[in-house]
Amino acid sequence: MKHCQRDILMKVTRRFLWAVGVLLLLTACVKEDYYDNSRQGNYEALWKIMNEHYCFFSYKQQELGVDWDEVHARYASQINERMTNAQLFEVLCNMLAELEDGHVNLSAPFDFGRNWSFYEDYPEHYNDSIAKLYLGHNYSIASGLKYVILDDNIGYVRCESFENSIGDGNVSMMLQSLASCNGLIIDVRGNGGGQLTAAQTLASHFTNEKILVGYVSHKTGKGRNDFSSPRKLYLEPASGGVRWQKPVVVLTNRAVYSAANDFVKCMMYCPNVTIMGDRTGGGSGMPFNSELPNGWQVRYSAVVYYDRDMQHTEFGIAPDISLVMSGADIAQKKDTFIEKAREYLSTSQ
Amino acid sequence: MKRFNSIISKGLAVAATLLLSLCAYGQDVQPEAQQTEIAPSFSPSRLNKEVLHSSMVGIGSSNVLDTYLSPYNYTGTDYRIQRETQRMTNLWKGRVSNQSFIDLNVAINENRPKTLDEYAGGLRYTQGWFYNFMGGNIVNPVERSSSRWNFAAGLAVSAYLGAVYIDRSGNNPAQAKADIMIDASGMVTYDMPIKRHHYLWRYQVSVPVMGIAFSPNYGQSYFEAFSLGHYDHNVLFAYPGNMPSMRHRLTLDIPIRRHVLRVGYVAQFNQSVFNHLKYHNYSHNFMIGFTKYLYRR
Repeated sequence: MKHCQRDILMKVTRRFLWAVGVLLLLTACVKEDYYDNSRQGNYEALWKIMNEHYCFFSYKQQELGVDWDEVHARYASQINERMTNAQLFEVLCNMLAELEDGHVNLSAPFDFGRNWSFYEDYPEHYNDSIAKLYLGHNYSIASGLKYVILDDNIGYVRCESFENSIGDGNVSMMLQSLASCNGLIIDVRGNGGGQLTAAQTLASHFTNEKILVGYVSHKTGKGRNDFSSPRKLYLEPASGGVRWQKPVVVLTNRAVYSAANDFVKCMMYCPNVTIMGDRTGGGSGMPFNSELPNGWQVRYSAVVYYDRDMQHTEFGIAPDISLVMSGADIAQKKDTFIEKAREYLSTSQ
Repeated sequence: MKRFNSIISKGLAVAATLLLSLCAYGQDVQPEAQQTEIAPSFSPSRLNKEVLHSSMVGIGSSNVLDTYLSPYNYTGTDYRIQRETQRMTNLWKGRVSNQSFIDLNVAINENRPKTLDEYAGGLRYTQGWFYNFMGGNIVNPVERSSSRWNFAAGLAVSAYLGAVYIDRSGNNPAQAKADIMIDASGMVTYDMPIKRHHYLWRYQVSVPVMGIAFSPNYGQSYFEAFSLGHYDHNVLFAYPGNMPSMRHRLTLDIPIRRHVLRVGYVAQFNQSVFNHLKYHNYSHNFMIGFTKYLYRR
């Protein structure tokens, strides 16, 4: 009887150990290709991260003729293990600059790699000291939005950034204060973006209806053309508070980028809104972050936002009315853009 | 980072002390009758009254890869708390035991160049039922089993909620982790008598077999999924092909007077490949705590 029990015990033990062994064998490790922290390793890692995650390769090839494989071959020849960190950084930044994307950056402890040609290559069309004259000293601030009523009863809102959250309450209180104005100027010149939700919250106070403002698509795999089906993006009217019903002018320049570019895209579909100024800078990809083996941080566009005609706004949005900052106006300490907007709003009464 | 680790280590030490005190207190207030009440006879009608409680804290190593956040492994220290209750049931003539298990862990990691910190953690709750082979008793084999070896195998339902966060700005600093799985699990105990004392080894392995898990799509932002409601293959069928994971636990119960000290080693290999996103979370922890064997009247 004891022998019988021992046999059964041994049998069960063997089966148990077999099961555990088989499980260990079946559980293959999930790991990612690893590049070493050499000059070549960092170069290859950066190229691969971009190759598998960047979302505008097709568009950049079409617009700029960028062939990412050719880029790899061209810059690989510049990499050697004797180069300094600064030299490596320069080569990597030059490679990324081929994409002409302000959302593509390389960040090292000693420098921030960027291609800001989207606004650096163009006139600024904005003079901060002159614009401040319009605001004066008695302007109000609602969550970063500076606003004042100008002499001709036009409301002027200076929106420098969307870095701070903007709530419906902030916008409603501001619009309530400007309710007596005949028109409104929203000056987003130099606004480099920030939170998409802040931009959309502000825009939602300028429509009474839900409007289609674009499409969004993300990558679904490592292939350069692996994308999800574009999904519709709507701008919902602000559910509570004040919605503006009078004419609006949005002032733009080349430094309007990212979330600010998205704000302009939303506003151009709103009723009573006119976009005036220079073309925006663009930046329609939502950026993601990653890193290199040496710890340098890389940022890249990962999610594509289109306008409602399924067109890219990566290289900006053209204004309804183009403006140029006049030298004569600057000499008289006048902002041509603001003056033209005031004229436009006065005549559109 | 080091300061934070130090604070966590001290916190764990305090938690361990409290745990020991609580266990000792529990033992003091429980009448000895609880030990002596256990009927010496082997009767299924009384088996279902066996209960085991165990609480452990532990520290060990962590290795986390999440390619949604970074293509590289982050390594560091893993802190873990486990709470287990096992009891015999009336199912299948008293041969089925039930185990409820809470496993909480937090890992503080760094990337290889030590330029970024990562925090990974989560809570797994498991409820399992085990068939005890050969009339054994996996809950209290020392008192209740005629054999030194005891085996049990069964199925468990486990639910996990966790997150991985890298301390940087941007639109992809964090990744949520969630799954509900059916696990296959096996247990073995070995009663090792030395002189008048019984030292009890326990080993348990659990493997997720099937269930559902959450994952963003390859390049999908959380803004799309949760602000816009644009879901895209975010709830997936999970099986060993895309979630080859396993959890091991080896413990030794050491009787010390009226108390039972438990020391152990926990190894967890949690892995997944969803939507071309690779994830692994390997941890090895040394655990210490107390076990209480109770008898419900």
